Amino acid sequence: MKRIIFYSFSLLIASFLTSCNQSSSGENGEKKLTVGVSMLSMQNEFIVNVHDEIEKKAKESDVELITVDAERSALKQIEQVESFIAQGVDAIIMNPCEVEASSPAVTKALAANIPIINVNSETTAKPSAFIGSDDVESARIAMKFIAEKLNGKGNVLMMHGYMGQAAQIKREQGAREVLKQYPGLKLIAHQTAEWDRAKAMALMENWIQSYGNTINAVFAQNDEMGMGAVKALTDAGLKDKVVVVSIDAIPDALQAVQKGTLNATVFQNAEQQGAQAIETAIKIAKGQSYEKETLIPFQLVTKENLAKFMK
Amino acid sequence: MKTLFKPDLTTADKPSRTRLRGLGQYGLLIAFIVVCVVLSLITPRFLTVSNLMIIVTQVSINALLAFGVTFVIITGGIDLSIGSTVAVTGVVAAMFAHPDTYPVIVPVLVGLAAGLLLGAFNGLVITKSKVPPFIVTLGTMTIGRGLALILSKGRPVSNLSDSFNFIGGGQVLGIPTPIIILIVFFIICSVLLRKTVLGRYMYAVGGNEQAAKASGIQLNKVKMVVYTLCGGLAALAGILLTSRITTGQPNAGVGFELDAIAAAIIGGTSTSGGTGTMTGTLIGALLIGVISNGLDLMNVTSYYQQVVMGIIIIGAVVLDSLNQHKNG
Repeated sequence: MKRIIFYSFSLLIASFLTSCNQSSSGENGEKKLTVGVSMLSMQNEFIVNVHDEIEKKAKESDVELITVDAERSALKQIEQVESFIAQGVDAIIMNPCEVEASSPAVTKALAANIPIINVNSETTAKPSAFIGSDDVESARIAMKFIAEKLNGKGNVLMMHGYMGQAAQIKREQGAREVLKQYPGLKLIAHQTAEWDRAKAMALMENWIQSYGNTINAVFAQNDEMGMGAVKALTDAGLKDKVVVVSIDAIPDALQAVQKGTLNATVFQNAEQQGAQAIETAIKIAKGQSYEKETLIPFQLVTKENLAKFMK
Repeated sequence: MKTLFKPDLTTADKPSRTRLRGLGQYGLLIAFIVVCVVLSLITPRFLTVSNLMIIVTQVSINALLAFGVTFVIITGGIDLSIGSTVAVTGVVAAMFAHPDTYPVIVPVLVGLAAGLLLGAFNGLVITKSKVPPFIVTLGTMTIGRGLALILSKGRPVSNLSDSFNFIGGGQVLGIPTPIIILIVFFIICSVLLRKTVLGRYMYAVGGNEQAAKASGIQLNKVKMVVYTLCGGLAALAGILLTSRITTGQPNAGVGFELDAIAAAIIGGTSTSGGTGTMTGTLIGALLIGVISNGLDLMNVTSYYQQVVMGIIIIGAVVLDSLNQHKNG
């Protein structure tokens, strides 16, 4: 009896798994292109947006996609790319988890003669093509906005993402470059809130206890944290006195810019990144000419130009 | 401190151990006070009414989770799924909390129901299958995370009504609502654990399962209740978090289970079951909150924060255990 239950249970799971998988064989005689996609984390809204665009464009071009979620683990990502190689896909799109640790995936794919495209962030090993934006630039734009708002003088706080991640390192670098140009701007404290809204809110509350009225501006390395900082400042009745800027332009942040609680955000074009990634993948797989590096520019979003970014 | 049990308890009672617990708790309290004194000497901003309110507000979510997991650990179990439960219940509540849709009680009840359901699922699988709770709740943790992502399509659920946002972000008579919720549920959980038959059964089950069974306690029923309760408290934490940050986040609560378990263990709850108090757990949660707040105030870099936090957690437990041995 137990055995029957066990077998029927496994059968159930097996049928569930196969139904999750999209049917693979191409209908007409021409061989359908297959592209493997390994994304950093499908729990991140921006990454999900990039992927949605890849999926949309793939459907339009009748390309079969195999998407996997690396769940922020470089090791997992390497294994996923290895499995793509074993499946003999025509191209791989990778959204790298780590600069160094995801590099072996690139090397392995190239060794197997499968083109690999890095989207959104880089690896040390050079891929066939790179599509993304320069994170350093996004922080420069954000910090410059703060500098102009404060007329080059004031106390600034910075919230980091996960320490050591490529985006964190580059956004810190960009922010510090601008700070150096404005000696009147003082970075009075900087701390990680791990890209997380709740953690950022708690950190901001603690900072308000420490620095209170002396805070002039907050730069958060992503919108989630920016939203947390806005919430804490609003609760403390300080929002009107403090400039808050963050990066990514997620829908929540755009709404906050509209309401005037968030002063500005920096738009990173997820759609463009996704679309260019899959288009480049198709071009390489078909042997057409392609750009080795496509940089999609960031744009500052304030109340004035908000309409362009609201959907 | 007197024994935790009424003398009329079943054979599973272990009075000697419970008396030691009380003494160990003083060690914890001393450690807590020492940390507070040191922090207030280093930074003058620590010991202000507004900062203390902020600490307790920040602690409330972890404390609620820790209360739930204390019940579970006392019965000799563990629940790793509570962090995911926070995400699921937060997302579910947020979906019903948009302005001008339902009255605020609806998202609260739906969120609570989701948490109780996940907890009951844990209880059911654990009691029916005899698979260790560690493994079952590890599975539920993943299932829960997946459900939160499915329900929210991987995106935060925002635009919540003001009345819903009041739950975790409002004030009553100048006191932040999370503090009030924390106090209410601290009292409820303490009474449940110390003054009711069910509470005594929990200690009995965790102290010696065979003896508890022999004395006629229905193990499965007790476990079922305990996991359901834990799920319910996690739901409460999820609703509170969602309301506080005014958005339901599918990736909220990652790692929360570890903070909650740390609070319970620092508070003197033994992982082998049978001992633990809500007061201890509350102090454990407060200790973690105070340290994290203090390190932010002192502007200690995040690299060092993690090391300091770990050292203090181990230190508190070592102190507690030394105290118990000395008195044993």
